[in-house]
Amino acid sequence: MTVIARRLAGHLARGIVMILVVATISFFIVNNIPGDPVAARYEKLLEGGMSPEAALQATKVMYGFLPSGSMWDQYLAYMGGLFRFDLGISITRPGQPVTDVLAEAAKWTVLPVLIGTLLSFLVGVIFGVYAAIKRTSKLGDTLAISGSLLHGIPQYILAMLLVVIFSTLIPLLPPDSPVDILFEPGWNSGYLGSLAQHAVLPVATYALSAYGGWILAMKSSVVTVLGDDFILAAELRGMKRSIVFRYIARNAILPLFTILALSLGLLLGGAVFIEKIFNYPGLGLLLIDSINLRDYPLMGGAFLLITASVIVANIVADLFYTVIDPRVRGGEEAS
Amino acid sequence: MSVILESTSTSATMRRNFWQGVWRVMKRKPSRMVGVVIILGFAFMGIFGPMFYPDILPDNANAITQPPSWEHWFGTDPQGRDVVALVVKGSRYVLLSAAVTAVITVVVGTGLGLFSGFKRGRWDTVLMRVTDMKLTIPGLPLLLVLATVWKFGNPFQMGLVLGLLGWGGVARAVRAQTLSLRERGFIEAARGLGLSTTHIVGKELLPSMAPYIAMNMLIAVTGAVYAQVGLFFLGVLPYESDNWGVMLNLAVFQAGAMIQPYALGYLLAPLLAILLLTLGIVLVVDAMDEIFNPRLREE
Amino acid sequence: MKRLAAVVALLGLAAGVTACSGGSGTTNKSGSGGGGGLFTTIDVNRPGIDASAPPNPYNPKGNAFPGYTTMKIGWVVNHLTDPNKALPGMAASWEIAPDNSSITLKLQPNAKWSDGKPVTAEDVKLSIALAYTQGSTAFAVTPGAAGAAADVTVVDEKTIKITQDLANPSPKFARGVLDTTVLPAHIWSAAVPATIWDTIKTARGDGPEAEKAREDITKLGQQVIAFAPQKDVAGGPFVLERANPGEALLVKNKNFFNAANVAPDQVKFLNYTGNEQIWNYLTQGKLDHSGFVAAPTDVMNRIKAAPGSEVIKGYSPVAVSMAFNQSKKPYDNVHVRRGLAYLIDRDQVTKVASPEGGTAATTTSGIHQKAADAWIPETLPKLEPYKTDLAKAEEEFKTAGLTKKDGKWTLADGSPWKVSMHAPAGFSDWLSAQENIKSQLTKAGIEAEVVTTADYPVYLEELAAGKYDVGFWLIALGPAPYDIFQRLYGASNGWANVGGKIKHSAAGKSGNWMGSPEQIEVEGGKINPGELTAKLNSVGPDEAKPIMSQLAQAANQDLPVIQLWDYVNNQFVNNSRFTGWPHDDEVLRLGTGVLPSGVWIQQGLVKKKQ
Repeated sequence: MTVIARRLAGHLARGIVMILVVATISFFIVNNIPGDPVAARYEKLLEGGMSPEAALQATKVMYGFLPSGSMWDQYLAYMGGLFRFDLGISITRPGQPVTDVLAEAAKWTVLPVLIGTLLSFLVGVIFGVYAAIKRTSKLGDTLAISGSLLHGIPQYILAMLLVVIFSTLIPLLPPDSPVDILFEPGWNSGYLGSLAQHAVLPVATYALSAYGGWILAMKSSVVTVLGDDFILAAELRGMKRSIVFRYIARNAILPLFTILALSLGLLLGGAVFIEKIFNYPGLGLLLIDSINLRDYPLMGGAFLLITASVIVANIVADLFYTVIDPRVRGGEEAS
Repeated sequence: MSVILESTSTSATMRRNFWQGVWRVMKRKPSRMVGVVIILGFAFMGIFGPMFYPDILPDNANAITQPPSWEHWFGTDPQGRDVVALVVKGSRYVLLSAAVTAVITVVVGTGLGLFSGFKRGRWDTVLMRVTDMKLTIPGLPLLLVLATVWKFGNPFQMGLVLGLLGWGGVARAVRAQTLSLRERGFIEAARGLGLSTTHIVGKELLPSMAPYIAMNMLIAVTGAVYAQVGLFFLGVLPYESDNWGVMLNLAVFQAGAMIQPYALGYLLAPLLAILLLTLGIVLVVDAMDEIFNPRLREE
Repeated sequence: MKRLAAVVALLGLAAGVTACSGGSGTTNKSGSGGGGGLFTTIDVNRPGIDASAPPNPYNPKGNAFPGYTTMKIGWVVNHLTDPNKALPGMAASWEIAPDNSSITLKLQPNAKWSDGKPVTAEDVKLSIALAYTQGSTAFAVTPGAAGAAADVTVVDEKTIKITQDLANPSPKFARGVLDTTVLPAHIWSAAVPATIWDTIKTARGDGPEAEKAREDITKLGQQVIAFAPQKDVAGGPFVLERANPGEALLVKNKNFFNAANVAPDQVKFLNYTGNEQIWNYLTQGKLDHSGFVAAPTDVMNRIKAAPGSEVIKGYSPVAVSMAFNQSKKPYDNVHVRRGLAYLIDRDQVTKVASPEGGTAATTTSGIHQKAADAWIPETLPKLEPYKTDLAKAEEEFKTAGLTKKDGKWTLADGSPWKVSMHAPAGFSDWLSAQENIKSQLTKAGIEAEVVTTADYPVYLEELAAGKYDVGFWLIALGPAPYDIFQRLYGASNGWANVGGKIKHSAAGKSGNWMGSPEQIEVEGGKINPGELTAKLNSVGPDEAKPIMSQLAQAANQDLPVIQLWDYVNNQFVNNSRFTGWPHDDEVLRLGTGVLPSGVWIQQGLVKKKQ
């Protein structure tokens, strides 16, 4: 108990320090990025038909939303705000706190990625065991190679292929908005159906691109376990095949849970390509938009949130590892 | 004198055995040979391909975004240039930066991993903390933010940044390998024989880890290719007229390849190039996996 | 793997089926209510709707849709020469004093807000106060602003009179007044203090007090932008029902004064983040109307082939040009610029870059060809057309002292010449054009390159800082003569309006990145183009014409930019569900941010297809 508590305290302290370091780095990178968001707005207003003077006035108001003061003061204010979960006010969405914008976007990222990841984990693990046990057969080999290939194909290529097939060639699934606005939001079949319809392609892309990795990881984990002495002993003792199989599966899957925790941490940041291609309004799309429009507070906030989720996931994964691995629990430092 | 002679001869036989092993692994599945051929083909394309074309590809304002034809196997781009020529010319940037990434990843990763695992103690702790931190910051979002400050005008810059972002995984893995070899009493035994550290690292540790490192290098190559093509595809980097990522971007967002079939060739050519490269690397990694991990070898 | 794909596909199919059945159910239900049906469109000015943005027209992300939910006093149209022409909006009619000194507005007698309260002159007065905080052409506290209002008087409940400050009058004063958004005072009075009119009065004076009042007003502007009413109280034919990240749904405003003639019951704004998505909607015939979107020829053909699809082409007062930084060699030499103008085949550039959305410029005049025909028809034949002519180009280069060695042009001092063109990465038509120009130049023996900047904000910043040799620049913006020439001879070329006086700053200083000479010889006399341009801001059409003629000639001879193509306004409509689309140039493009289809609908032009 004390070991775990001590570990947790250490992790939390380190995690907070990491977040502060990342916040500092992102603050200084973001504040040194070239580009004038106000000039861009001015040109846009002119193109829209506004007269130069009026556009000048209108954009002057926007300057009020830009941070002012010396870099050091801004930095202190930013870090101070961090402890109150205040990341400032968005420039391109004046009046909206960055945290609100992030929360809204995160909602649309978490659910599809979570479903996609869990789906691929389930399928990948089952196929992985199969591929390991039958690794001499044609089918096992094909499974392994298909896993490597799917694991190897970049997400954006998979996403584009899916759009071409299911939205262009067979217009089944729309590559846009998260839900049709005609449906009243709530627990009605129309709304949920529309939600699901729009989420199918992104979820399928996450699942397909991650599934290969799970097959490979599970396969190699099973192969390692197969070589372990206790399996040999069990076989020599003449245990039933199904029991041996359970032995193998249970011991082989444990390390995968750690990877699962880590990959769940990466989910917030891993969605950039998929959200761009499917126009899904999550954090990834928000990050790209904020970069293109030079919305500094939003950019820094999105980056910080994405990184913080990885840090938290790392802590969770390590604690999990501590709990399941008796050697570590015993107090020995894991390497 | 005789000791040196002896050791060189043993390492020579070891090497021969190793190459024989490689050959055996290769021969078992013809698909692995295909993988090697594909990778060699891409290397040839990257090095010599652009020499077959003029510096500025001929364009034709009367034949923009044409569907595939006998003359243009994958059609033409929105400037009326041959898509195949663009893919070949674009391969140099992609592959060169991938190579730079791979070298940096392997050199920095292996170096730090070996050092950390070999020395242990305080240095190990510090280095691994830094590595942990690097592994924590998600690569793609960081690249997106960095792309606004850095200019990735040439492949070396691109490779450098990707390499510096990517060595963490290799460092961890090499350290783990070193530690495990150490646990098996490998290093102590060598020490006992009075061998120098350079010898232990260079002659004993590295060769046994070589296929593993090479495997990681290939994985780093694919990672680098995806990352840079992806960045160009998203349009956050300044554009280069012949680059696979820019081709994808223009095909989707300018030529409307997802809507009209004429531009499909423009989209598919770089896609197929990436898929083919992936296939080649997957097949070779599969072979290396077996060389390195004897447990996977079927008796 | 195959099994998984099949399962996923099946899942998708099932979801599709449930969604479809649900969809038709909902539409039918609402359809039986009014019989007008659903109108589907997109807001081309604003990709990606922000669900949590307030229904505030001054917020850049606000869920207010000018023409649909928000009303302006009048809907200013795109007349070629008369900037004050408009369709009735919240004002049913107006009278402009012959000397442009005042405008008297008569509000729609039956106008009501969507919550049932009547629209009064007080609403308009508060809306004008709000406009002051945001800055508008007519309602500005900037010292020396031309065409600013002096007084706002409520005459009676439905009548309001606005007079112009004649110290610095402008012919487009009425346009500035009409192009003002009208908001309900009972909601928006909470956004500004009751004393706002006193502050505005002080701010229009002189001295430190006025200075402070102006700062206060700018601060109020921030408050107004961030103002978030709980519920949308709309004056237009529709009111916001709900929004999600991507789409917005509007329902008919039963209290709208012309509700009887408003055909659709519901309006749906679709989500998009890039043009390719709009193309996709259009090729599937999903949109009833979409504003101008650039599209390549093949995509355009697909769009036209969609059932019911129609493309209405009209006038768009924008042209794109290749602009030079004359602080850099050899672009300081007019012969080099002329040589390039002769060399570049603008037809080919347009064909590659903007085949459907542009017409190659016939010459460089600084004005869109259509506007030029209307304003200065007798000057046009006098302009050098710069027809593609390699021999003339070489001659000009030689005059400039350039030399051709081994088929390559070099600068006078023998150093190599490379034309380095810049564009922001997302602007695909500009990039296509530059790639084509690069190829044309290379063929003529001039080295060239295309350099992109990651995005527009950076491009504008670096351009203004004088970092580029050659860049693309939008010109000829807007129907008003001053707005047109201000792009060539305004702040970016050194002439800034400071307190009503024109000040010229040297090349490379205070945002002057073009660096044209201060005086240009036109028809034997020297003119100062910046001062002439500023004068356009305060003269009537008859006085403007000779000035515009001089400026067009100056631009034509001196070539601060090479005009490449004039944009064409493509409006995409679909006749399957609604008909009655206007084909009249003037109403195809309206004032700042206005969605034209909303105006067409509220005017009763758009009819449900029988």
